[in-house]
Amino acid sequence: MNKNYARFLSALFCGLLAVLFTANALTPDKEFSQVENRALAQRPHITGDTFQLPPLSGLFTSNQGGDFFTGKLMSDYETYVIDQFVLRDTWVAAKAYAEMLIGKKENNNVYFCEDGSLITRFDAPDEKRLERNFNSVSKFAASVDVPVYFGLIPTQASVWADKLPAGAPNYDQNLVLEAAGKAVTGTTQLDLATNLNGHKDEAIFYRTDHHWTSLGAYYGYVSVMEGLGRGDEVIPLEDYAKTTVSTEFYGTVFSSSGVRWVKPDEMDTYVPADGLKLITVSTNASGLEERTERPFYDESYLEVKDKYSMFLGGQQPLGVVYTGNTDKPKLLLVRDSYSDSLVPFLTPHFSEIHLMDLRYYKTSASEYIAKNGIDAALVLYSVPNFTSDTNLVFLR
Amino acid sequence: MVFSTPFFLFTYFPLVLAIHAITPLKWRNAVLLVVNLIFYGWKKPAYILIMFASIGIDYVHGLLVEKAKGAGNDKRAKRYVIQSMAFNLALLGFFKYWDFIAGSLHGLGLTFMPVLGLELPIGISFYTFQTMSYTVDVYRGDAKAQRNIVNFGTFVTLFPQLIAGPILKYKDLADQIDERDYPIERFAAGVQIFTVGLAKKVLLANNLGSLWDYYKALPAGELTTAGAWLGIVAFAFHLYFDFSGYSDMAVGLGQMLGFEFLGNFNYPYMAKSITDFWRRWHISLSSWFRDYLYIPLGGSRCSKGRLVFNLMAVWTATGIWHGANWNFLLWGIYYGVLLVLEKLVWGKALQKLPAALQHVYALALVLIGWALFAIEDFSALGPYLGSMLGFAGGGLVNGTVFYHLRSYTLILLLAAVGSSPLVKSLWHKLPGKAQKLLCPLLILAGLLLSTAYLVDGTYNPFLYFQF
Repeated sequence: MNKNYARFLSALFCGLLAVLFTANALTPDKEFSQVENRALAQRPHITGDTFQLPPLSGLFTSNQGGDFFTGKLMSDYETYVIDQFVLRDTWVAAKAYAEMLIGKKENNNVYFCEDGSLITRFDAPDEKRLERNFNSVSKFAASVDVPVYFGLIPTQASVWADKLPAGAPNYDQNLVLEAAGKAVTGTTQLDLATNLNGHKDEAIFYRTDHHWTSLGAYYGYVSVMEGLGRGDEVIPLEDYAKTTVSTEFYGTVFSSSGVRWVKPDEMDTYVPADGLKLITVSTNASGLEERTERPFYDESYLEVKDKYSMFLGGQQPLGVVYTGNTDKPKLLLVRDSYSDSLVPFLTPHFSEIHLMDLRYYKTSASEYIAKNGIDAALVLYSVPNFTSDTNLVFLR
Repeated sequence: MVFSTPFFLFTYFPLVLAIHAITPLKWRNAVLLVVNLIFYGWKKPAYILIMFASIGIDYVHGLLVEKAKGAGNDKRAKRYVIQSMAFNLALLGFFKYWDFIAGSLHGLGLTFMPVLGLELPIGISFYTFQTMSYTVDVYRGDAKAQRNIVNFGTFVTLFPQLIAGPILKYKDLADQIDERDYPIERFAAGVQIFTVGLAKKVLLANNLGSLWDYYKALPAGELTTAGAWLGIVAFAFHLYFDFSGYSDMAVGLGQMLGFEFLGNFNYPYMAKSITDFWRRWHISLSSWFRDYLYIPLGGSRCSKGRLVFNLMAVWTATGIWHGANWNFLLWGIYYGVLLVLEKLVWGKALQKLPAALQHVYALALVLIGWALFAIEDFSALGPYLGSMLGFAGGGLVNGTVFYHLRSYTLILLLAAVGSSPLVKSLWHKLPGKAQKLLCPLLILAGLLLSTAYLVDGTYNPFLYFQF
């Protein structure tokens, strides 16, 4: 190697390091990533506690002492560098492209399917956790006087399994449904799988998001009503006029996959919001209950990445939908976010629908039932959410 | 700290390079010592205390050995060597093996040793071996004792090879520590080899590691014979590219800072026998054991019985060096037995076989060895080896194996070619002009693509950490 060429190679390397070093230093930190729909790690704060000495006996053994001595400060800083890396979204997309080009059909646990659907792999559930969750539902059913219904929603990885790349590892969600049938007692179990599987050729799930579409939610609604023994009240799909509210929806699976070459999803609503009132209940800093009205469809979300939150305005510990049909029963829905797009279809059949999210609502559900004159309770989760949920212990 | 993170590549290392460049020559070792210690204490600052103890004790012992030798007192010099080795082995033994031994005794109902829950200080297996070589080299007259404690500290803590080797012997590095030059050609060579190492680690090793993880986690009933082989082949490539990638990065970083380290691998999967494999795999470790254990025990110039003992002693030690677990011990003994058999039974016959058969022989045994190495849980090891031999709960092959073969065709092909000297010989056949044009493009592509994988970085384990 001659000297000039060596200088050139060295300059190339040092130049790249210097450019990225400087760019990282100069780009302002972002609080939130729209594309990934999550808060990004921030520069770790250094306080007096950070350098708190560990006890001598715990010097090499335990995680005692301040963040500096446990090493947490440094690992947080590394995470911060990754999260705030200049042009982060571009790097992430480039990696997904590279994986696709070398022949992979999957990136970050998401399969690339032939029709442009992105489907998150479903892994074998943690059996102990699953058993605990089944027990929580059974115990809850035994502790209340109203009828309890229990449903699990199979997702893309199951209903659309034939879209997955041939031979791709994927745990069969039907095994979870079978296990639920055996393990959960004291409830009427709803069969959502048959109806969804029967309509699998329709756009019942988003291609880029983990949720079901409003159409999928409609078929879910039919199954729910049949399970409740009120199948004759079901409103036919033809009676609804479909409204397309967005054609630019890129969902959560789009985010986690890094895949940027697929078309966006279309987002529809069927049920008009006329006469529907949504009150969201939260606990303020001083422990008092606060009730605020929210739009039933919050169209401001259509302007941002997280468009699915248009349905009922997204997350809330407790929400009550007043339908105006005062002669109908009151339903408690213990649920995950799949219910946000299901609830519109349920409104003609109940006077009030109380939506409880156990991630944020930790007070007793059975007391809530007694206090609010609830007539029936429905525990409804998607299979992946149910199998990984850690908050069902709060269902009591 | 490890090299394959955005923080190291684009924050820490640029700062080190810049500070190093503006520091006058005579202060460079002091600066290196400081950045080495930050590098080392990054995960847990208390580790630096172990490092200080190690530096201090070996520094003093080196001087004592030399003084005793100078006074013609060989016995005393020997005693100092043994004393320093005992200290190093005690350090290693305590941090690496105490909990393993205590846990094993608890299993037998003996509870006189409490399980302490120690965190293994990273790289301790590497730097204790490195410092042990120092007093021995001084005793043997292969190197002079280092009088400058900063220089000695720099040798012990030199960050490019601190946590995963190559294990440097003091005699190989002594001159460079005291004085070295910084030709730009060496820096440029460092850039090349560093980039190769980074790409090996990030693009090949991580990719294949996740394939192995799938087969490792599979319940015995679902494992197929083809799947078990695919899994262990993935592991073999994963380990090789992870470890040799890391060694390449170390050599490259060393060159950028003015050092020349010896390489650690010489196409191990091209071996024609197990003896040959161990001349090619983790060379700095096997040559360490050769120089400081095998030869002092008498090497191969001794009776057959003694030879068997020597080989088994070295390979048991090699096995347990790799980790405080029974499977590593078993793995070491497995190689000890194979080497004894090659030396005494079928080594000569093997050489008469066609070359292709010799490769098959060596690779099959190495792959079985990797199963012993990779599966720490004995209850899973039996079924896995059984599946490899055709007794698989899931049958011969299934759709998932084909899915993986389709997904990893290119990666496996690259890994296979990358494990052979083919790339190197093709590169040298290119006209000089093409080389000059391609080299910067490949460096850029390697760095940028690796950065993309690291910024996405959901999967970035580093295997030789635990050793």
